[in-house]
Amino acid sequence: MQMKNKYFILALMLLQTSLINSVFCQNTATNSGGQVITVQPKIMVIPYTKEGEDLRTVLENDENKRIAIAKIKEGFDSRGFTTVDFVAKLKAAKDNNAFTSDNQTDIKTQIIQMSGADVYVQAEVIVEKGQTGNSVKLILTAYEASTGNSLSNKVGESGKFYTEDFNKLASKAVESCVEDFLNIMQTKFTDIVNNGKSVIIDISFDAGSQYKMSSEIGSDGLPLSDQIEMWMEKNAFKNNYHIQGTTDLRMIFDDVKIPLKDQATGNNYNPNKFALELFKFFKGLGLQPGKDVKGSTIYITIK
Amino acid sequence: MKIQILVSSLVVFILLSLSYSCSRKVLPTAEVNYLSSNDGTVSMRAIGIGSNQENAITDAEKNAFNVIFFRGLPESEQKIALIGTNETVEKEKHKDYFEKFYKGKRYKTFVMSSIPTSDLIKYKGGEKSISVDIKVNLVALRKDLEQNNIIRKFGF
Repeated sequence: MQMKNKYFILALMLLQTSLINSVFCQNTATNSGGQVITVQPKIMVIPYTKEGEDLRTVLENDENKRIAIAKIKEGFDSRGFTTVDFVAKLKAAKDNNAFTSDNQTDIKTQIIQMSGADVYVQAEVIVEKGQTGNSVKLILTAYEASTGNSLSNKVGESGKFYTEDFNKLASKAVESCVEDFLNIMQTKFTDIVNNGKSVIIDISFDAGSQYKMSSEIGSDGLPLSDQIEMWMEKNAFKNNYHIQGTTDLRMIFDDVKIPLKDQATGNNYNPNKFALELFKFFKGLGLQPGKDVKGSTIYITIK
Repeated sequence: MKIQILVSSLVVFILLSLSYSCSRKVLPTAEVNYLSSNDGTVSMRAIGIGSNQENAITDAEKNAFNVIFFRGLPESEQKIALIGTNETVEKEKHKDYFEKFYKGKRYKTFVMSSIPTSDLIKYKGGEKSISVDIKVNLVALRKDLEQNNIIRKFGF
């Protein structure tokens, strides 16, 4: 009887293993033989808009801005990098009636969120007319969408010419600075590859939660906020993290570095995987966490 | 007779002082200066030193590439070093590439034009220097460095 039970348990274990394998093993159709290609950031070039300006009409009415954006994208293309097309996203959003708000700043944020862009490049085109000639100035700024970290800033100038051809002047202004702009961006990307990318972690409590940041928790009975920081100290890439602030009800890390590649497997690593580790940590403390990941921001809510 | 001696000694003195001033000519450093850039190309004026004109031009070309790779060229679109500022480490890390690039003269494939802009200037010890205007295909050079994994492609 005992012998029979043993065989039954063994068979059950084998079945379980094969089930797990069939769930997690890679499909032969997509198996690349272990080859890993680094996930590239999504970059979108957008025009600068002043407060109250309609982002949708700004581009349609101003061909200089369209030319500037096309030239900037050309710069990215020449480096073999494909950008997210802002106009296409704008049209798609229009078709889907994605914008309901009258607030233009919100629309810009919505497009950035909707596009899933990690980095956005903002181009401000300034047309200057004068008796000594006309010129176009261009202010180019690149930001990390999630953290707002600046990646590159450049001012381009066309120089003064006795011409009314502002399209050509806009083009010259871009040409004067785009390569330098991309070179600086690349040095920042290299820094990210070497030192990790930034994520924001927002830890808060559910309305009905019995816990606070000062709650003494875990086997060593330390306050929760200290437990979290100790974990972050061990798990942030190269021990690089920054706490924006801690209150009894909230703890915000405005910059935690995570690697681009899993240091053990070499596979791509992302905020979602880091959020899972954080989730496991809270579970280990005997808490009931909820997690949400939006872009590079991780929201943890303790129930 | 006395006048003849005086004149000949004066001539000798002038000749001596002239040759002294010539030997005092200081060898120029490997200067590379930005001239212009247009649509993926960069033009530089570089000074090269060598035993003859050919060697001096080669030296000028190599200097131009070295500046782009390890120093960056102010005023140009490549203000920061294309590879990195630690020249010794980078050259050691990619020994094969640089061996082929310089000794195998692969760098010539990225030179669009190389025009001497000065006469060959001779210095004491047989060294000669020349100033050369060099136009480099920067886009192709960057692509080549990317393909050979010397620098990373744009992005992560």
